[in-house]
This record gives sequence, C-alpha cells and structure tokens, in this order.
Amino acid sequence: MLKMEHIAKVFRTDTVATHALRDFSLHVKAGEFVSVTGPSGAGKTTFLNIAGLLEPFDGGSYQLDGISVHGLSDSQRSKLRNEKIGFIFQGFNLIPDLNIFDNVDVPLRYRGFGRAERKRRIEDALAKVGLSARAKHLPSQLSGGQQQRAAIARALAGEPAFLLADEPTGNLDTTMARQVMELLEQINSQGTTIVMVTHDPELARRAQRNIQIVDGEVADLTLRQAV
Amino acid sequence: MFAYYMHLAWRSVKRTPVISSLMILTLAVGVAVSMTMVTLQHVMSNNGLAEQNNRIYALQLNSASTGPASSTNTLKNGLPYLLSYRTAMALLDSNIPEHQIAMHRWAAAVSLQDNRVKPSKEVIRVTTKDFFALFGVPFIYGKVWDKQADYDAQYQVVLDRPTNERLFNGENSVGRSIQLNGKPYQIVGIVEEFAPQPSVQDLSQGAFGGNAGIYLPFGLHRALSMMPYGTMSCSITGDNIQFPTDPVEQYNFILQNRCFWLQYWAELPTAQSKTAFVDYVTGYYEEQRKNDFFEREFKYALSTPSEWLELNGVVSNDTRVMTWMALTFLVVCIINSIALLLAKLLRQSSEAGVRRALGASRSAIFSQNLLESGLIGILGGVLGIGFSQLGLGFVRMLVSRDEAQVVYSDAYTIAITVLLALLASMLAGCYPAWRISKTSPAQSLKSQ
Repeated sequence: MLKMEHIAKVFRTDTVATHALRDFSLHVKAGEFVSVTGPSGAGKTTFLNIAGLLEPFDGGSYQLDGISVHGLSDSQRSKLRNEKIGFIFQGFNLIPDLNIFDNVDVPLRYRGFGRAERKRRIEDALAKVGLSARAKHLPSQLSGGQQQRAAIARALAGEPAFLLADEPTGNLDTTMARQVMELLEQINSQGTTIVMVTHDPELARRAQRNIQIVDGEVADLTLRQAV
Repeated sequence: MFAYYMHLAWRSVKRTPVISSLMILTLAVGVAVSMTMVTLQHVMSNNGLAEQNNRIYALQLNSASTGPASSTNTLKNGLPYLLSYRTAMALLDSNIPEHQIAMHRWAAAVSLQDNRVKPSKEVIRVTTKDFFALFGVPFIYGKVWDKQADYDAQYQVVLDRPTNERLFNGENSVGRSIQLNGKPYQIVGIVEEFAPQPSVQDLSQGAFGGNAGIYLPFGLHRALSMMPYGTMSCSITGDNIQFPTDPVEQYNFILQNRCFWLQYWAELPTAQSKTAFVDYVTGYYEEQRKNDFFEREFKYALSTPSEWLELNGVVSNDTRVMTWMALTFLVVCIINSIALLLAKLLRQSSEAGVRRALGASRSAIFSQNLLESGLIGILGGVLGIGFSQLGLGFVRMLVSRDEAQVVYSDAYTIAITVLLALLASMLAGCYPAWRISKTSPAQSLKSQ
C-alpha cells in the first residue's frame, strides 16, 4: 500500500538546513494498522505530510498503492490524494460554517460524484460513525468526540484504501479517545489501511505495528499481534 | 463544480458581510463613475447614420471672404459649416448625386383648423424633396411633394409619425391640413420618425437640436421670406455694410450676399460619382472665383456622417479626458478591491488547506476563489447600475434640455456596466486567488 525508500526531506532557510527525514524507508501493507511514535521534532508530521502527498520530498522514492508519486503534477497528486487517502487531524479541521453533512460532502465534490451518489455515501459514512442524527448540526454544536467522528466520516466517505491519522485522540478525553480508537480499529478490521501518528504509548500499542521515528529516521519497528 | 463554487462564494460573502460590502461598494462606485462617463461618451459618439457612411456626404467649401469683416462660423478644418443660398442652388442643378438636399431649420406655431389641438411652436425642417430618400426615411402614408415644390411655393407638408399621432391620433391624415402660423398646409405624406441622436444631419444647434417632426418644401422659403432658425453667418468684405432691420430686407440680404445658412448633403454611392461631383464643385468654385464670389483658394470637404460628427466636435475633448479619468478611478478601485480581497481570502487560507488535503487541486482552489470575486463583481455591477443612474441624473441636471433627453443608459451600457464590474472583480480577484491557491496545505493545517 505504502512504500517509501530512502526518503529525504530538508527544510532550508538562508542560514540553516534542517533534515526532517533522512534515508527514511517504510513499507506498509494493505490492511495494516501502523502507529508512528517519536519525540517532538522527530519528523512524524513531515512523514505524514509526505505520505499524504501534502508535501514534496527531496530524495528517495514513494509508491502509493503501486503508483510512484514522484513527478506527478499537482492535479494528479490531488486526484490521487482524493481517491486513495483519508485524513484525520488532531484538531478535526471541520469547516466551521458548513454543517456535518456538507463537511462530509467536501471530498466527494472533488471526486465528481453525482448528487445521489454523494448523498448515499454521506449517509453511510455518518451512520458508520453514529452521527446520522447530527447531519444538519454545525461542528460547534457537537462535542469534541462527535467532531472527530464527523472528521472520520469525512475521511471514510470516499472509501479510501488508506487512512492517515495525526494524533486523532490528542484533543479528546479518555472516554472519547477510547471510542474513537475503537472506531478506527473497526474501520481497519474492514480492510482499510491506517497509519496513525500518536504520542500516546497506550494507543500505539493497540496498532499491529509501531514505528518509532527519531531524528528523521526509523529507529524501531515493533511487530505486535493484531488487537 | 460551478454551482458548488457559487454556493461557496455566496456563503463566504454572507460570512464576512462588512468586508464583502466594502468590496461591493468600492467596485460599484468605480464602475458607476466610469459608466456614467462611458454612457455620456457613448451617447455623444453614437452615429445614427452609420449605415450610410461612405454613401452620403456633407459638403463644405472654402467660401469665407478674406477681408476684415469676415465673421464666419467655421469647423475644425477651417471651412464654413454651411453654404450660401447661391452655392446651394448651383449644386442642386447638378445631376451627379443620386440624391442631394439643401435644407435649413425653421419654426412655426402649429394648429388645426378645428382647434382640437392646443397650438404649439414646433421645429420644422425646410428641405428639398430628396431628404427622405437620402436619409432613408420611409413613408407610412402618401408620398413626398413634387420636385417643383422645391422651387415654387406649394403649401404642402410631411409629418412624422409622432406628430401625426399627436395631431390626428395616428390616422391616415394625407389630404387633410394643418396650420402653420395660421396658414393652411396640405398634408401629402406621413413618415416614420427620423431623430438620430446626435442629430447628425444638422448639428448647427448643438448635438441634439437638429431633429424635426414637420417637413416643408424648400420652395416655400422665398414666398415666406423664411429666416433660418439656427446658425447663420455672413462673410462680407467692404465698409459700411449694415445688416438690414426689416425682415423682408434681411431675407433678401441673406439671399444675395455671402451668407451661410444652408446645410447641404449629397448621396454619392460610388467612387466615380464622388470624383465627378468633386470635379463639378471644383468647376463651379473656380468659375465663381473669377466672378469674385469666392475669394480664397479652392478647398472643400466631403464628410461622411462619422467624419461630420468628429468635425463638429460632438464628442468633446473634455468628455474624452473625463472618461479616461473615470477609468483611472476604476483602476484605483480595483487596486483597493485587491487589497480587501487579499485580506479576506487569506483569512480563509486554513479552509483552503483543509480542502487541499481532501483532494482539491490548486486550480480548484483558484477557481473557487476567483468565482467568489466574480460574484462580488456581479453584485458590485448591479449596485453600480443604480449608482450610474444617479450619476446620469446628475449629468442631466447639468446639460441642456436637448442633451438631457438622451443622456440615459441603454441595454448596451447596462450590459457593459455589469461586464466591466465582472471584469474588474475578476482582475482584482486573480492575485488573491492565486496567492491562496499557492498556500502549502501542510503549512495551513499546521497553523490551525
């Protein structure tokens, strides 16, 4: 599903060059649930941005679902991102003045689905996360856990093969975090590949595999039994 | 996606009412000022006879005297605007033009014998019969007077449709009579209204004062000693020349002397007929020069309707300068809009980042934001139409009554207003939309 070989990423200013990722290699198989941990500034977010095609890389190669992303135009990358990847952010990143239905609709619009198809997918996705009754609510009218579930519905609506989650429980209390984690595990059990960046060792342990990044390199690969 | 982007644009406008209103207002004011001036210029430079360009010509001759008593009204080309009676009559003898007319403006009190209609003073065109054929004015009822009426006094009249409607409720009034200054004139024809704005055929009374609804045969002016209503100048060399005070003597004076009071148009549809007519005019001029009727070297001008408008300075330099100043003001408004739009759109960069992460390409973000500018432009244009109507109302208060009648925007200028606003807003929106589309989604998401 995800195959990174010797990826390098350097952030440069006039005076400083910061190596965010160096010789970074990682293979994630289809259907895997991988957690990514590491100290602040280790390169976790950079890895996630490159994996999500939000940021270019300076060296190495990256194949997503068998497609080499090197040399793709912006519109090709956007199309690939829209079709293959679902994003879940720590801060939910719902558009505040769109209701939940319209928020979930956003990636489907860029996919070019017709009205009926979009409606079906949105309703399915909201049902999956238990928010059917909240479709017409604005994000501000929902709790943090509900907002994150709405964000997960948005990520799922396009039926991507690959979910990228950046600290998905970082802004939630323990109960809500557990609910969201259970939801992710359920999604993974249905075949969706998940890569989750987290600080929480407890959550990281629930993934099938944990990758630790230190100073832009993969420091540890721990294989665990599926939860 | 267009409908979706428009929906998002409308949502965005509602979400930021103050800054959106400011942009709409800025564009509306810029567009309204520009369109007020463009409308003014459009009205002034309109050529109602454009279809007859290169077919009909106004003639000028270098007929002013060289002496110190000369006080001739001349145009930009230095030639007198009008012709003398003697010259006009000589030219009318030519059979080269397909049609040709000599004419002047007059006015009389118009009434009916049965007093059904309140008498009123009306502008009248005294012209030779070719007027209707030369300017392409179609007859609804009847026909034009006989050729002889161009030379002899025949008390006949042609009315235009509005005049006939006012006097006879639009009935076929051919054969009936109207009274001019208390004297009966038999109606021989009813024509469609001929009122080009500006009145290209006669610009002697300003750009809009040359139209008339009543036409009299040229042959009447001698019998009635008609003094022209409008511009007249005499160019006479000699001492102790006095303009008579008695009306009949005055009339005879302007017939016999080098007084310019007749407009002359000729229809010369081919290059050959034009050349032949110029030869005819040259021959006439040189002959009259030998007789001392012309004192200057031979010079002439044959002007098409467009050239005639230009020569008469209908679109003044002031109007042109004001139009350019107004368009410059619009540019300033666009620059202000760019600043406002930039501030507004950059506040939305985090949403753009989310949309990018969810699959929107740069071009999709650019299009979405540009359409938002377009929507603001349309709203600015609609408001601008309202403002420009106010502006034109103000202009109407400043200009003469004749001009005020035509200083109105038409479908053309309204369409231009909206298009201009749209174009202005799209121009204003390009840079902010480009900036926001170039925003790194990773950076935008990180900053949230």
